[in-house]
Amino acid sequence: MTITRVSDANTFNFVQQRTAKVQVDIRELQEQIVSGRRLLRPEQDPLGAGQVVRHSASLAALAQYDDGAAFGVQVLAAQDDSLGDANSLLVRAEELASQYSSGLYTPAQRAAAREEVHGLLQALTTVGNAELGGRRLFSGLSQSGTPPFTDPDAPGYTAATAYTGSQYQFEVKVGGDSAERVRVSTPGDQVFGDALVALESLETALATNGDVAGTLSGLSTARDGLSSERASVGGRQAQLQSRITQVRGLTEREATSRAEIREADFIVVATQLAQATTALQALLAAASQIKETSLTSLLQF
Amino acid sequence: MGLLAALDIGRSGLLAQELGLSVTGNNIANVNTPGYTRQRVDLTSVPPALQHGVLIGRGVRVQSVEQLLDPLVDRRLRNAITDAGEDALRHDQLSGLSSLLNDLSEPSLGTAVDAFFDAADGLARNPDGLAERQTLLGAARALAGEINRRAEGLGALQRSADDQTLGLVTEANDELDRIAGLNVEIAAAEVSGQSANELRDQREVALQSLGRKVGISVVEAPNGAARVSLLNGPVLVEAGTVTNALATQTTGPGLDGGLLHEVGLAGPGGFISTPASFRTGEFAALAESRDTAIPTAATNLDTLAASLASAVNGVQQNAAARDLDGLSTVAVPFFSGTTAESLAVAITDPRRIAAARSTQPGDNTNALAFADLRTAPQAGLGGVSPAGWLASEVARVGQAASQAEDVSAASALVVDQVQSQRDSISGVNLNEELTNLLRYQYAFQAAAKVINVADNILGELVNLVR
Repeated sequence: MTITRVSDANTFNFVQQRTAKVQVDIRELQEQIVSGRRLLRPEQDPLGAGQVVRHSASLAALAQYDDGAAFGVQVLAAQDDSLGDANSLLVRAEELASQYSSGLYTPAQRAAAREEVHGLLQALTTVGNAELGGRRLFSGLSQSGTPPFTDPDAPGYTAATAYTGSQYQFEVKVGGDSAERVRVSTPGDQVFGDALVALESLETALATNGDVAGTLSGLSTARDGLSSERASVGGRQAQLQSRITQVRGLTEREATSRAEIREADFIVVATQLAQATTALQALLAAASQIKETSLTSLLQF
Repeated sequence: MGLLAALDIGRSGLLAQELGLSVTGNNIANVNTPGYTRQRVDLTSVPPALQHGVLIGRGVRVQSVEQLLDPLVDRRLRNAITDAGEDALRHDQLSGLSSLLNDLSEPSLGTAVDAFFDAADGLARNPDGLAERQTLLGAARALAGEINRRAEGLGALQRSADDQTLGLVTEANDELDRIAGLNVEIAAAEVSGQSANELRDQREVALQSLGRKVGISVVEAPNGAARVSLLNGPVLVEAGTVTNALATQTTGPGLDGGLLHEVGLAGPGGFISTPASFRTGEFAALAESRDTAIPTAATNLDTLAASLASAVNGVQQNAAARDLDGLSTVAVPFFSGTTAESLAVAITDPRRIAAARSTQPGDNTNALAFADLRTAPQAGLGGVSPAGWLASEVARVGQAASQAEDVSAASALVVDQVQSQRDSISGVNLNEELTNLLRYQYAFQAAAKVINVADNILGELVNLVR
């Protein structure tokens, strides 16, 4: 279709439409600069919009995996400290057991030793009842106000039945799959049960002038158990740390991918804005020339 | 006789140029009148008469004042306007839908879903925490509220499309009345030999406006009256009569519960349903949006709501699930409602949230199961996670709006092109009109000079006689 004649309506409509179009472009570019985003509405890039939604959901999930793993590391670090304390108590108990195995000590000295061992028993009970943020480290991370381990001074106390806490093994979620979980608690009786029984046996042996040497193997076994649990805690801590590193890497990649689709490139946008502004100025200049090329102007009607 | 004839010739010239000046002035005055068709004076010389044995012309006379137009271009413009009207309104509707379902802005449904599962993760880290339970309830209420808001938004969007349809029917009927009235005036003017150019322009504007709403075909009768029919459909206007006005009748209920309306014709026996005749123009775009695009989005939103409620309730009501007091929650659903509109949080006491699957203190098994739902494929969502479903819905709606935008831009371009072509034929060019103004002015002055000269000569003759 060839246009052989241009009407005034045509001329003005052309300028009006082009000006409106350029002004819309300028507004969109300004919006991009203000919001920092290139993609504001799904219709601008439908596929990209879908990807942005996916990346955003992934980022939200990754943040939770990071939080979960970080929480686990915190719990396991506290448990590691407690297990270190418990180990020190057992080392001292083994020293006492070795020392008092000889039978050279007086009853008063043995009573003093018994008293020290009882203190160790109380201390180990306190370690077993340790809390982190009001939650029992060795009782399924519950918020229970009742300590999981009974006080050794309580009437009818026996080490074998001292634990009344949770048997639940608390897990934290560190991935999208339901299998991606890491256990961060072990029931207290499994951790400290042998140690408490061994200490109680030592205390009894000292109190009754019994076979102190015979308690050494129990103490050794208990200390091995604690070491084993500590190793397990360390292993899980390392696993969680590794997961945190992995999650943060994934987060960075997801954020970068989302930014590439969604975020505005300021250099590009600023350049486009300059171009659009120039185009608008040119259009307005052209529009102002329409009158100059009119007979009304030339003939000064 | 000869000199008197010169006076007559001069007079005819004066009258013709004066008319030319009037027509030119009229063109200039209407330079910005929408739909105006420029006019031109059709001058013709008066047949010669024998004078002193020679055939001498007897001046000029105005044959007619004609409109410069191409009926084929006008028809193409009407058709292009029908397409553009449909495409532009479809783009408006889908763009509105896309804005309502825009998950790129915040807050959005996506962020509400994420916040819910973030809170579930928080509960999994501290299943005994009342603060975590309150947070989960709050996030669940926000999620249900966002889904409700969208459902209401879709209902409002559909209602708006229906209201717009009713408004268009009223406008279309006004235009039909106007076209019928103009038909009468045009026929009356042209039968008596008068020019009905302005009336024709007004009718063309009314036809274009009607054509924007629905596709029409126009056939002009010899007396100038236009017969207007729906495309491949019944006649709407015949001469001065609106034979079939547009009408509506209520159909089924919309998303907001109110009745929707079907557009048809008002026949003598009542409403005539002619859906095939309304498959073009703005009526078609509104019907498509109201009856297909919006209900589809609403159904999809219902699917999400039902699927989320079912999945979360499945975990909450697990046979082994226990609340904070160790009680079974088999009969304690988390969400109530199975549609986007009715979805609500059923639990009011945060202690009733089932975070455990045993009575062991610290058990977070069920809370972990809540958190797992974030990425778990759900059968109700076609085997994808809620986030995956949202992403595909955003892309689907965005794609439809983007496509509609492209199509609308293309059809607007076609209208521009055809309009430009019409303007190149029928539009007023001021430079051209000013040139004509000069032409008629000079011709008028010359004709006056002829009269002046003839008058002088006659005066001389009269003086000779004295």
